[in-house]
Amino acid sequence: MVVRTFVKPALPLLTLLPGLCLIPVVAILVRDGHGGGLPLLIQFAQGAVQPSFDPTLLKSLWQGLQITGVTAVLSWAISSGLGLIFGFLGSRTLWRTVLGTPWPAVLVRRLLSPFRAIHELIWGLLLLQVYGLNAWVAIAAIVIPYSALMARVLADQIDCHDSPALPVLQGSGGLAMAVLLTAVFPAVFASIKHHIGHRLDCALRSALILGVFGLGGLGTDLMLSLQSLQFRDMWSGLWLLAIAMVLLDFILQTIPRRPRIGFVVGIALVLLVVWSASLNLDLSWPSGSFGSVFSGLVADRNAATAALFEINWGAAIGSTLLITLMASCIATAVPPLLLLLSPSQSSLRLQSLIWAALRLVPTPLTALLLLVMAKPSLPLAALALGLHHSGVMGRVLMKDIRETGFGSAQILERSGATVRMSWLYGPLAEVSRSYLAYASYRCDVILRDTVVVGIVGSAGLGWQLIDALSSFHWWLVAWLVLAFIVLTLCGETITDQLQQRLNCKAVGL
Amino acid sequence: MSLDQRLQTTSLTIRADERVVLLGASGAGKTTLIKLCNGSLQPSRGALQWRGQPLKRLPRHERRSIGTFWQDLRLVEELSVVQNINSGALGRHGLIWALRNLLGVLEKDACLAVMQEVHLNPSLLKRAVTELSGGQRQRVALARLLRQSPELVLADEPLSALDPVIARDVLDTLLSLPGCLISLHRPDLIHRFERVLGLRNGALVLDAAPDMISKTQLEWLYGRS
Repeated sequence: MVVRTFVKPALPLLTLLPGLCLIPVVAILVRDGHGGGLPLLIQFAQGAVQPSFDPTLLKSLWQGLQITGVTAVLSWAISSGLGLIFGFLGSRTLWRTVLGTPWPAVLVRRLLSPFRAIHELIWGLLLLQVYGLNAWVAIAAIVIPYSALMARVLADQIDCHDSPALPVLQGSGGLAMAVLLTAVFPAVFASIKHHIGHRLDCALRSALILGVFGLGGLGTDLMLSLQSLQFRDMWSGLWLLAIAMVLLDFILQTIPRRPRIGFVVGIALVLLVVWSASLNLDLSWPSGSFGSVFSGLVADRNAATAALFEINWGAAIGSTLLITLMASCIATAVPPLLLLLSPSQSSLRLQSLIWAALRLVPTPLTALLLLVMAKPSLPLAALALGLHHSGVMGRVLMKDIRETGFGSAQILERSGATVRMSWLYGPLAEVSRSYLAYASYRCDVILRDTVVVGIVGSAGLGWQLIDALSSFHWWLVAWLVLAFIVLTLCGETITDQLQQRLNCKAVGL
Repeated sequence: MSLDQRLQTTSLTIRADERVVLLGASGAGKTTLIKLCNGSLQPSRGALQWRGQPLKRLPRHERRSIGTFWQDLRLVEELSVVQNINSGALGRHGLIWALRNLLGVLEKDACLAVMQEVHLNPSLLKRAVTELSGGQRQRVALARLLRQSPELVLADEPLSALDPVIARDVLDTLLSLPGCLISLHRPDLIHRFERVLGLRNGALVLDAAPDMISKTQLEWLYGRS
C-alpha cells in the first residue's frame, strides 16, 4: 500500500498545533527560572484557602469593588448607547437603504477605527496625565474604545444579516429607517442584546485593569496587596471578585429567560449608581485640557523627528508581535489540549472552573506572580497574557461543545475509536471552525493587550509607551500610539481575512 | 415516553451473515431498534448482546465490527473527503494515526479503493465535504462505512430522499457487505433480502423469509387493513 502524506492540517488539528509554542516558552522559563520564589508561590496558594477576614480589610475591599462596579456599569451603559448609535451609522445596509450608497458607513467605520485600536489602559493613562485622578477618567477610558468596538460589532451584525424581506418592504414604499427596523433589526436583536450583555463583563475586567494601574477600585487594592506580598489579603479581594463575577454571569444568563429579573437587576444597578455618591468616588467633572499637551507638541517641532529616531522601532514592534504570537498560540491551544487530556462530560465542569480561575486574575497580576519564579522575558509576558486569554477561549470552547452535544463522540466510540480519538474527530472537530474564527478575533484583543504586560517583558511598544508617559515625552507618546493604531488595524485586516477563509464570522466578545 | 413504550420486542436474534430488512409504518419503532442495536440507545429493560458479550461492554475490536449508515450521514463537516473516509478506520488505529490523518492524506490507495466501490470520483479526494452535492456526500458516508469493514451494517432508511440510480447503488453496496439490518419504506425491495422483520406499534409482528410474506400482510403492517 502506498502511503503519501500531504501536509495540510485539518481544522481540528489547527486548534492543537499552536500548542507547539509551549515547548520553547516553557524551555526559556525553565532556563530563566529560580527556586527562590517557590516559598512565595506556596504562600500564594495557601492564601486561596485561608483568605483574610479582617473586618477593616473587607470593608476596604468591598468599597473597592463598589468603585470598580460603578465604573464598569457607567462605562458600559454609556458605551452601549453610543455603540448602538454609531453601530447603526456604520451599517452599510442602513445607508444603502437610505441613500442607495454605502460610503457614509465606510466613513464612519474609518473614523471610529483609531478609537477602538487604542487599549483602554492607554486611554486611561493619557487622560490621567491631562485631567488627573478622577472617576470620569476611568469611565471615559473604557467608553471610548468600547463604543467604537461595539459600533463595529453591531454594524457587522446588521450587515451580515441578509434579509429576504428587505427588498419586498422597500418595494412597498416604506420609509428607509422603518423598513430597516422591520426587516433587519428583529433578526439581529438577540445577538445584539447578547453582545451588549457580555460587554458588562468586559467592562468589569477593564475597570479592574485600570485599577491595577492606579485608577482606583478593587484593582488598586489587589495590586497593593500583591506588592506588599499580603497574599491572604489579595485572596480576600479575589474571592470577592469571583463572587461578583459569578453573580454577574448568572444575571446575564437569567435575563434572556426571565425578563422580570432583568428589570429588578436594572433597578438594582441604578440604585448602585445612586449609592455611589456616598462612595469615595470623585464623580465631579474633571478640569484640565489637552491644551497643555498640544502646546508641548507644537512648541518644539524638531522634537517630533528626534522622538521618531529615539527608539529601535524594529525591536519594539518585533517584540510586541512576538508576545502577541506566543500569547495567541497559548490561548488557542491550551483549552483543546486540556479537553483531549481529559475527554469526558464530567470533566467539563472542572475545566470550566480552571478557565474561570484564569479569567479571574488580571493579566498584570498573573505576570507579577510569574515574575516571582523567573526573570522578566518576552515568553513570561506571553505566558501571562496567554493564560488569561486561554480562560476566555476555554469558556468559548466549553460553551460551543455543550451546545453541539456529545452524540458524535458516542457514535465514534461505538465504532471502535478510543475516547480521545472520538472527542478529536467528534465534538472538537465540530466546533473547530467557529473556535478558530473566534481565536483569530482574540489575536486582535491580545495585540491590544500587549500594552498591559509590556512592562513585564521590559520590551515592546507597551513598555515604551508607559515609560514615555511617565516622562511626559509627548512626541514619543504620539508616535507610539500611532504605531499601536497601525498595528491593530493591520491585525484586524488580517484576522478579518482569516475569518473569511474560515467562512465563519466571530462575534466579537 | 420510555423506551419500552416505543419498542416492546421480547427476543430477537440476527446472524452476522444475514441480510435483514426492517419494515413498518412511521413511528413503528424501526429507528429505536437500529439505535438499540448500535448502542446509541440503552434499553430500559432487558439486554443486548453481540456474539455473546453485552453490547455495552464490547471491547474495541468488537465494536468496530458493527457499522452504522446514518440517515443524516453524520459526516465531519470540517474535514475533507479522504479524512472523513479514513475516520471509518479509527477503530483500527491509535491517536498518532488519527493526528496524521488530520495533517494530510493517509493511506490514499485504501481510500481510492473504497471510493471506486461507491462510484465516487477520485478527484474529490481532497475536497471539503461541504462542497459536495447531496448524492456525493451520501457516497462519502458509504465509503467511510466500507473503510470500517464492519461485519454487520445497520442502516436507518438509507434510501430516503435519493434518486433511483443512487438508491440502487447504495443498496447494492450495503448488500455486498457480510450482514445487514436495514430499515426501509420500500416493500418492493424485500426480495433482495433473506429475512423480513415487521414492526407495528413498537411490537415485532412479522419475522419471515420474503417469499413467505403476502401482500395483505404488508398492507396490514402499514395499517391499511
